Amino acid sequence: MGPELWQRVETLLACVERPVRYIDSEWGARRVTDTEHRSVLLYPDTYEVGQANQGLAILYDRLNSTEGLSAERAYIPWVDMAARMRAAEVPLFSLESCSPVAGFDLFGITLPYELTYTNVLEALDLAGIPLNAADRSEGHPLVVGGGPCAYNPEPVARFFDAILIGEGEDAVVDIARAHLEAKRSGASRDEVLERFAGLPGVYVPQFYRSAAGGGVEPVGTAPSLVTKRALGDLGEHRPPVCPVVPYMDVVHDRFTVEVLRGCTRGCRFCQAGMVYRPVRERTADDIIRDVMEGLRCTGHDEVSLTSLSTTDHSQLEEVLRRLTSRLEGTGVTISLPSLRVDAFSVSMARLASGGRKSGLTFAPEAGTQRLRDVINKNVSEDDLIETVSRAFAAGWRRVKLYFMIGLPTETDEDIVGIGDLVTRVQRAARGAAPASDRGSVRISVSVSTFVPKAHTPFQWEGQVPVEDIFRRQEVLRSAMPRKGIDLSWHDAEVSFLEGVIARGGREVSEAIEHAWRAGARFDAWSERFDLATWREAFVSAGLDADAIASQSYERDERLPWRHISSGVSERYLWLERERAVAGVTTVDCSFDGCTGCDACGTLGVDIVLGGESRGRR
Amino acid sequence: MAAGEFRLRVCYAKAGRARFLSHLEVMRALERSARRAALPYAVTKGFSPRMKAAFGPALPVGTAGEREYFDVWLTQPVPAPEALERLGSATPPDLRVAEARYVHEKGPSLTAAATVARYEVAVGGEGVTAELIEKALVTVVGEGRLEVEHKGKIKVFDLARSLPEEARVRSCGPPVILEVTTRMGQEGSLRPDVLLTEALSRVPCDGAVVSVTRTDILIEEEGVLRRPL
Repeated sequence: MGPELWQRVETLLACVERPVRYIDSEWGARRVTDTEHRSVLLYPDTYEVGQANQGLAILYDRLNSTEGLSAERAYIPWVDMAARMRAAEVPLFSLESCSPVAGFDLFGITLPYELTYTNVLEALDLAGIPLNAADRSEGHPLVVGGGPCAYNPEPVARFFDAILIGEGEDAVVDIARAHLEAKRSGASRDEVLERFAGLPGVYVPQFYRSAAGGGVEPVGTAPSLVTKRALGDLGEHRPPVCPVVPYMDVVHDRFTVEVLRGCTRGCRFCQAGMVYRPVRERTADDIIRDVMEGLRCTGHDEVSLTSLSTTDHSQLEEVLRRLTSRLEGTGVTISLPSLRVDAFSVSMARLASGGRKSGLTFAPEAGTQRLRDVINKNVSEDDLIETVSRAFAAGWRRVKLYFMIGLPTETDEDIVGIGDLVTRVQRAARGAAPASDRGSVRISVSVSTFVPKAHTPFQWEGQVPVEDIFRRQEVLRSAMPRKGIDLSWHDAEVSFLEGVIARGGREVSEAIEHAWRAGARFDAWSERFDLATWREAFVSAGLDADAIASQSYERDERLPWRHISSGVSERYLWLERERAVAGVTTVDCSFDGCTGCDACGTLGVDIVLGGESRGRR
Repeated sequence: MAAGEFRLRVCYAKAGRARFLSHLEVMRALERSARRAALPYAVTKGFSPRMKAAFGPALPVGTAGEREYFDVWLTQPVPAPEALERLGSATPPDLRVAEARYVHEKGPSLTAAATVARYEVAVGGEGVTAELIEKALVTVVGEGRLEVEHKGKIKVFDLARSLPEEARVRSCGPPVILEVTTRMGQEGSLRPDVLLTEALSRVPCDGAVVSVTRTDILIEEEGVLRRPL
C-alpha cells in the first residue's frame, strides 16, 4: 500500500503550503512497521503544532520498543491539503509507511485541548472511519483517546471506542497487548472492548449511558469509577532520548527532558496541578544522562527541562551546574519553562541562560492578595517586586506577567489591582535597571479568561459570561499604566467556547459534530476561529451554550465527569473550594506535610523527591 | 576569523523527499547532522553563540540539488575522510553527504564565489518535442532581455549575461530533459523554470516544466567554470 499511496500523495505536494508537513523521512522516525499489531498515533492539529508533543513521543517510543507492536504518526492536513486529498480520494495516511489510517489495528488520538475536537472528526472522516463508535464494524481500527482533556471525556465520548485516563507509559502497552491477544484468539470488536474495560484507567464509553440525575452510569459490569493510571517511579521509563527530529520549524523545536511530573503547589484553578499528582522527580544523575544522550542523538542546540514547575525540583541547582559545565562552548542552550516567583528562580534562570537574557516569565495570576489567597497562588506582592528587581539588576530587560480574569469571587477591585501591581512592577524594573538602560525595559502582560475545569476545586463554579468578561477587560485596560506595557488578551470568545466544551456532558458531542459539518476546523487558530458557526451548531443541537458554560453545581449534583477519578477525592476538592471562599491558603504537600487530597493512597503512588520516596500517607 | 579554525567544505545532495525542504530547513538539518556527528565545530562569538557554518545559494522548495555545498569551521582538523564518514552516518539519506575537503580559510564565501548554476529541467505535455523547445529557446534568447515579475516587482534579465552556456537537450523524452546553465548573484538569479515557461509561451504547445534539479553550482574563474570542491 505504502509506495503507491505515497506516489499519489507526492503529486499533491507541489501545490500545497509547507509540503514538509507530509514528507516523513526525518531523523529518528522509526521504520519497523510490519508488526503483528500496528498503531497510528494522531495529534489533532498540524504537524508543526503536534510534532513536539511529549505525550505522543513517549507512546511512540514505548510501542516501537515493544516486541510485536509498532506505532506510526499522523497529523491533520492543513485545509489546502485536505481539500486536495478529498478531491483525489487520498485517505488520511500515516507518515512512516504512508498507509491509510483506516487499515491500522489501533488509531490513537491525543486530546490536548477542547478546540481541537473538530479536528478529531476531520481525522476520522478523512480516514474513512465512521464518526460514531457504534457505527464501526470489525474491519475498522479501534479508536482510542487519551491526554489532558480525557478528564472530562463526555463531549467526545461517542467518537471513541476507548479512552485512557492518565499516564500512558505502561497503559499503552497494556492496551495494545490486550488487543493483540484478543486478535489472536479471534475475539470480536465487542469482546476486545470488554477486555479493555477491565484494564485499569481505560474508559469504554459505550458501556455507559446517561443517568437520570446527570452524568453517566455503567451498563453491565463496567466500573462505576474509572481511576487514572499513574507511574510509581518516573525513573522506570527514560524519556525518549532519540525522538523524531523535525525538518520543519515546529512549536517547541528542541530536545526535552521531563524532569518531574506533578505539582502540588495547589493552585485551585489549575487542572494540571490536581490531575497529575503526586510529584515524582527524576534524579539529577538520570537527568544529566538523558540530556547528554538526547543531545547526541538528536543534534538539537537547545534542551528544555520541562515540568509543571521546574524550579521546584529539589536538585535543580545541581542539575544546572553540571549541565552548564558539560555544555560549555557547544552553543547548546538550556531553557526552563515559566518560573516560580522568587529569588531562587532568578538565580536558576541566570545559571541556565549562560549570559543570554531573552526574557523571564512569571505568573502572579491575580491582582490582589485577597484573590491570590482564594486561588491559593502563594505569591505576595513583595515576592514579585523583589523577584523582578533582582531580574532587572541581573541584566534582564524583559519580563512577561500572566494574569487571569473571571476568577471566582473576583470584583472590579481585584481587576484594578492588576493595574496597580503592574505599575509597581514597572517602577521596580526601571529602578533596578541602570539609568542608561531604562528605555529598554519591557513589561508584557498577558491576560487570559478563567475557565473552571473538571477535577479542580472550582469545578462547581460557572464561567463568567463573555459579555461581563469584555466589561472586565475594559476595567483592566483603564487601570493599566499608560506607557511601556504590552498588554495582550486571550480571546474571551475562545475561552467561552473552551468553557462550554470543557464543562459539557455527552450532549455537547452533537454540537461538535454540527460545527464540524458546518466547516469548523482548526478552531484553535485565531484566523480560523468563528464563534458564529459554533453558536449555530449549539442551536442545531438544541443546546444552550451560555447555560452550559455558566451553570454552577451544588455539592451533591452529579457532574458530567463524576465517573472519572484523578485520584484526588471529590471530598478534598470541595474542602479546597470552601477554603477558597474563606480566603484560607493550603500548603504544598511535597514539602510541608500531607494535605489529604487522597491521590497517593488511591493511586498507590508515593511522592518521589531526589530519588527518595516519601512514605504513603 | 579566529586562529586555529579549519574550514571544511562539504558537498551534499538535496534529493528524494528532502527536495520539499526550504533552504532554512536544509541548513538546520545539516547543522544538526554536524552536532550528531560530534564534529569539533567552532561557535560564533556574542550573546547567542551558534555553530559557525555557511551555506551555498538557496534552492526553492520543491527543487532538488545533486551537488550542494556548505562550509563548517572546526576547532581541530579532523581528517576529511573521517569527518565525511561521521557526517554521513548522522545525516538522513535524502541529504546524503558525498564529499568533504578543507578549503582556504580566507577564501570568499560560497555565495560570493559560486555565480553559475547548472540545472536539469524536465519538460512534459501535449505536443512537446525537443525541436519545439529548442525553437522556443532560440526565440526567447533572441529577444535579448526577459522581464520577470516576482512578488509584485519586475526584474529584467539580460539573457546574454544570464545564460553563460546554451541550453542543451539531454534526452528527447517524453519528458524532454534539458541542461540549462544560468548565472546567479546580486544582479538576480534567473530560474530555469521561469526561462522555460516563458520560452514555451512563445510556441504553440501545452508544455510545462515537470521538475527541476540543480546538478551543479560552479565558480567562474577567468572564463573557466569549476566546482567548489
